[in-house]
Amino acid sequence: MKKVILMLLIISMLIGLFGVVNAAKKVTIWCWDPNFNVAIMEEAASRYQKLHPDVEFEVVSMAKADVEQKLNTILASGVKRGLPEIVLIEDYNAQKYLQSYPGSFADLTREFNYKEFAPYKVKLMTLNGKVYGVPFDSGVAGWFYRRDYFEQAGINPEDLKNITWDEFIEIGKIVKEKTGKYMISGDPYDGGLMRILLHSAGTWYFDEKGNPNIANNEVLKDALKIYKELFASGIMKETSGWNEWVASFNNGEVASVVTGVWIIGSIKAEKSQTGKWGVLPVPRLDLPGAVNASNLGGSSWYVLNNSENKDIAIDFLREIYAKDIDFYQKILIERGAFGTWLPAQNGYAYRAEDPFFGNQRIFLDFSEWLKKIPSVDFGLFTYEADGAIMGVMPDVYNGNLTIDEALKLAEEQFKNTLGF
Amino acid sequence: MRRKLVYTFIYIFLSISAFISIFPFYWMIVGSTNASVDIIKGKITFGTKFIENFKNLIETFGLGQVLLNSLEVSIFVVIGSLIVSSLAGYGFEIYKSKSRNRVYAVVLWTLMIPPAALMVPLFRLMNVFNLIDSLWGVILPMIPSVFLIFFFRQNFQQYPKEIIMAARVDGASELRIFFSIVMPSMKATYAAAAIYAFMTSWNAYLWPLVIIQSSEKRTMTLFISNLASGYNPDFGVVMTGVVVATLPMIIVFFALQRYFVQGVLGSVKQ
Repeated sequence: MKKVILMLLIISMLIGLFGVVNAAKKVTIWCWDPNFNVAIMEEAASRYQKLHPDVEFEVVSMAKADVEQKLNTILASGVKRGLPEIVLIEDYNAQKYLQSYPGSFADLTREFNYKEFAPYKVKLMTLNGKVYGVPFDSGVAGWFYRRDYFEQAGINPEDLKNITWDEFIEIGKIVKEKTGKYMISGDPYDGGLMRILLHSAGTWYFDEKGNPNIANNEVLKDALKIYKELFASGIMKETSGWNEWVASFNNGEVASVVTGVWIIGSIKAEKSQTGKWGVLPVPRLDLPGAVNASNLGGSSWYVLNNSENKDIAIDFLREIYAKDIDFYQKILIERGAFGTWLPAQNGYAYRAEDPFFGNQRIFLDFSEWLKKIPSVDFGLFTYEADGAIMGVMPDVYNGNLTIDEALKLAEEQFKNTLGF
Repeated sequence: MRRKLVYTFIYIFLSISAFISIFPFYWMIVGSTNASVDIIKGKITFGTKFIENFKNLIETFGLGQVLLNSLEVSIFVVIGSLIVSSLAGYGFEIYKSKSRNRVYAVVLWTLMIPPAALMVPLFRLMNVFNLIDSLWGVILPMIPSVFLIFFFRQNFQQYPKEIIMAARVDGASELRIFFSIVMPSMKATYAAAAIYAFMTSWNAYLWPLVIIQSSEKRTMTLFISNLASGYNPDFGVVMTGVVVATLPMIIVFFALQRYFVQGVLGSVKQ
């Protein structure tokens, strides 16, 4: 008897191990972050299901690195099964996928009216005149500052709307002197701020042809100089890793934060600082063509050409992400997701006053800055270039190398690793 | 006097080493009882949030199914790879042929291929077998283990060949000799191999990640990787998840520990 039960148990386990055939109208979506992208996609799916009850959705939540690993393996294997309909790809990596796996992503040029999306977002997913994705969230950058600290230092935020980074450092010194607080915080070996600086000047690590533009990149030289000065002047608190960084402004140790709009959730997590924050446009580099608007991060949706229900997936993205204004209001309020479909920015959530930020209409400001972000071709190897430059930063900080020498070294190392 | 001094140093060194190895575990357990905010602030004392974290883990993230998947994978991998690898190791050791050692060398060489390089071909193979997005797709490629073949062969070397010969004289078939005589007398070796196989399959990450597509078939490692993935993960829940994921390993290890030490030392004494 025992044996029979054991056999039955094993058989039932064996059956459970096999794959199940997919339902007819099912859209599978791969993305990361249960509280952000996943939750937003689930909201979008439930809205679409109200219009089309026969469509099923499966939003698979994975770590970002996992999504990338899976996508790379399956696309490289050439197998046409096991692919999701929709996948989320980080903007910096978009061209890498589009160029490495031609034909894998659906050409959406005629499916969407791309004039309705932020131009810089459309550019980064365009290859040979064709657009391959649906722009999603923006990392439009802002300069979040503590109203109380600035007031204490005798600084009027109204005067800070169009300043340069050099002026930023001077103001930082005043803040440090008068309040004892650091101006900003950050990891000296993190390239995030570098990307904000470059993007605001409409430049990247690569030229139009995709070749590295590091050693003779005037913007990059300026950016490195700013990095060095930020730390040398003592106005930047050194942190390492995300948590320490977030803690530095939650604890009230720093007077401002320069980063993407997505940080709002983390800033607002510290309820005791209600009313004490405000947002200004980011400083700019003192160079021709540089603007007081930039971007850090952001991602977009892509449809896989070989997936089963590709057409339903495209219709879904069009119905929600390019039509549903109310959807964009909801995800902004509930998740802090700043969309890049411009018509949504006339909605109520974008015009609302936020008591946490001293009743400033912050999203209205961000919408303005979003339109000013220069279009940049991210090329294929943003993170690799980032790594090469951050690799030489120790020598820049301690003065072993001049900025010119350091960038030359970084370009050599970058070329060697990638075989340019 | 000098001996005392030496011992003092040894004990200080060992205490520091023990602290370094135990502290992560301690923090993991403490973390599972705290809220996310406290963990970020670096709180290292026990809190009161364990039940809340645990509830969260089960309700919002569906822990039960994931544990079941991981257990199924591990159980089948352990059984499968013990049988397959021990038979292979036995074969290599007992049956003499000219090319035996050459074949064995080729088998050992495959240890040098990084697993990541096998992902794409393996994925294509599983596509042919129609095993993508099934737990069998996870289990089958993990069953043959070169290390275990090596391990079993080493252990069978010490097995007295006279016993096998005597069994042959008595008329036992080769498989009977293996399953009725050799296998039962090598319990310790099998226990050690079982721990190893359980550990590798329980901790397997890359292969399940690539082959499993739907959420309800995820294994524990994928589940934890997802928990910790957000821009703002709930570290209390992550730590609780890690505690839950560590438990089966600890249980298996302690259940088989007695054999493990013996097995590594060698099973049969002549």
